[in-house]
Amino acid sequence: MTTSSHTGHAQSTDNYLTFTRGIKSWMFTLDHKRIGVMYLVSVLASFFVGGLFALIVRTKLLTPGEVSWIDADQYNQAFTLHGAIMVFLVIIPSIPGALGNFVLPIMLGAKDVAFPRLNLFSYYLWVTGAFLSVYALLAGGFDTGWTFYTPYSTTTETAGVIPVVMGVFVLGFSSIFTGLNFVVTIHKLRPPGMTWFRMPLLLWALYATALIQVLATPVLGITLLLLIIERAFGIGIFDPGMGGDPVLFQHFFWFYSHPAVYIMILPGMGIISEIIAVHSHRQIFGYKYVAFSSIAIAIFSFLVWGHHMFTSGQSELMNVVFSFITFSVAIPSAIKVFNWLATLYKGAIVLNTAMLYGLAFMFLFTIGGLTGLPLGTLNVDIHLHDTYFVVAHFHYVMMGSALIAMVGGIHHWWPKMFGVMFSEFWGRIGCTLVFVGFNVTFFTQFMLGSQGMPRRYYMYQPEFQTYHVISTMGAYCMALGFFVTAAYLLHSLFFGKKAPANPWGGRSLEWQCTSPPPHDNFSTTPSVGNPYDFSDVRWNEAEQGYEIDPNAVPSKDTH
Amino acid sequence: MRFFPRIFAADARVTPFDSDAARFDARRMGMWIFLVVLALLFVSTIFGYLFVRVENASTWLDGNPPPPPTILLYSTVALLLSSWTMHLALRAAERGERAQGKWMLATLGLALFFLTLQAFAWVQLIQENLTISTGLYAWMFYVFTGLHAVHVIGGLIPLLLTTARARRCEYGPNDFGGVLCTAMYWHFLDGAWIVLYLTLLLGSR
Ligand SMILES: [Cu+2]
Repeated sequence: MTTSSHTGHAQSTDNYLTFTRGIKSWMFTLDHKRIGVMYLVSVLASFFVGGLFALIVRTKLLTPGEVSWIDADQYNQAFTLHGAIMVFLVIIPSIPGALGNFVLPIMLGAKDVAFPRLNLFSYYLWVTGAFLSVYALLAGGFDTGWTFYTPYSTTTETAGVIPVVMGVFVLGFSSIFTGLNFVVTIHKLRPPGMTWFRMPLLLWALYATALIQVLATPVLGITLLLLIIERAFGIGIFDPGMGGDPVLFQHFFWFYSHPAVYIMILPGMGIISEIIAVHSHRQIFGYKYVAFSSIAIAIFSFLVWGHHMFTSGQSELMNVVFSFITFSVAIPSAIKVFNWLATLYKGAIVLNTAMLYGLAFMFLFTIGGLTGLPLGTLNVDIHLHDTYFVVAHFHYVMMGSALIAMVGGIHHWWPKMFGVMFSEFWGRIGCTLVFVGFNVTFFTQFMLGSQGMPRRYYMYQPEFQTYHVISTMGAYCMALGFFVTAAYLLHSLFFGKKAPANPWGGRSLEWQCTSPPPHDNFSTTPSVGNPYDFSDVRWNEAEQGYEIDPNAVPSKDTH
Repeated sequence: MRFFPRIFAADARVTPFDSDAARFDARRMGMWIFLVVLALLFVSTIFGYLFVRVENASTWLDGNPPPPPTILLYSTVALLLSSWTMHLALRAAERGERAQGKWMLATLGLALFFLTLQAFAWVQLIQENLTISTGLYAWMFYVFTGLHAVHVIGGLIPLLLTTARARRCEYGPNDFGGVLCTAMYWHFLDGAWIVLYLTLLLGSR
């Protein structure tokens, strides 16, 4: 400890939550853990708002015809807001911003991210982007869909388009700076002994994610800027009237937004690698394959954007090429799933809440991934394009996988973040409600889509009503599950049992500091070894937690 | 901590690095990544322009657009000169020499001169009734020069701050990270401008 002003504190009372006090000490904090917590609160608040819009959309769809309480234009705005909020304010920043910020430096054995002030700046960029989105809503809303396709987005009457596009632009830079910070942190702040292959797999996933954030987001940024100019001045390269090309917008947009899918899913995969290994107390199977498949996914993700545009009029040859490369993305994803399964096999599995979310992820991600294959097939996609099949597919990936991993990660690190244990009983109930509700909502939509129900429609043919009603009931079930989850997590903050340093028996470095961690993360430099060698982790009855055998020599090999 | 003296708590950890050398190393890497990000902005813009120019050559509505105004030639020279003075400022800062302040000030002056010339170029085109709405050539001119100018204006902030410190001769062999990062950014803007200017020249034919 080098902080001279705090030497009066006893070691056990130094934790980052109470290190300094007052609202200013949070607003201007440079501590990665506090910034992570601020992201967590903000992202969850946005998730609540985005979820409300989803419930509005689903409630309208209970009946096929017009309803009195929401007209078609308001409906368009509701699903646009749902999509834009969930993608740009929730899923993209959720894992890197909240959990990544909190655990990345601790897992690495560092005191903080490389550029703490830039980190705080990223957070306030996020806040600015969120405010611009709210302003867009108040200024007249926007109905472009979250993709902002031209020429609709340059001509629609809704006044909120420019503010929301500016908002997404700002959020993009928040994401870029987070990525930049993580890349430099992982390169330059690894303590002695922490080699690349002793990094927990979450760090590999966050590293691969950061590469995409840095290399893909600028393209979205400039595209949105050109879109604003085009809308403001009535001319631009996306305007066919002046010799421009609206398909160019789609190319630019998906050059970012397909990799963005991996900005959402890769950190989720990283979390699942941690959850699966720790809660089955077993050396992760095929460490290097899982690590490199993250990098492979990041590289592939830049080469497949055209699969969103099979019906846009791009050339046949490009369609075939994009279709082929799209299939090859399945390989690294499948490698991960098989390695997780192999880790579970003969592991000492503990079916607690975090693990249940981990298993839910594997199930939902497999469905989400496999239903991507028919969409990547040219002739099938012509039939399914812009139907509920696509909606169901990306909800399985973005919500069923990315968000479920986020929720699982929150449970996995909750004791570490706040120093309290939540109710496992209610945790399992919440997880079950979410899982069942999710499948009822979205599996039904596969059937709707394959029978031809187009996405984004306000009114529909009466024969689809049964499916829509089932889907809406599933959404209510899911909402209930999330309310239960919010309730017991909040309850635990005030009444939860005090958490031990290592409640699950993890081996990576964040489980070796106290819960919650001290301001400087570690009082002494921790010894770094294989993060998945659980052989010297043992239960301590007095602590009600696990501890690492002090005589054990950290094993150096990972494989 | 120098730029933001009061907002952060007194015991806030502004850097996790134990040594100045390690911190310097990380800042340089961060700056390289940042420049890649900015380069992607410019490359995408140029690519977008070329895409529609080549794909839709027949529907090009500008006819035979005029070459960019001659004033851009002078501004290009001014920017190149500023890159050179920036380089001299960096060399002086590395050695802790007094000249660092002089060269930084020269760079700042040339940057402002460059922006003034760019503004004149815009005024001249507007007087010739070539506004952004005229056609895609005009669009390209205003978007390219505008995007670049925004980056130069943004660069004035670090330039002002480092110049102020260099005037007090605060940089030396162990601490010249600020000048180095500013210089990297400045050379990047110089290179980006050359590419944009060449595209403008070729686009007019
Ligand atoms: Cu895609």
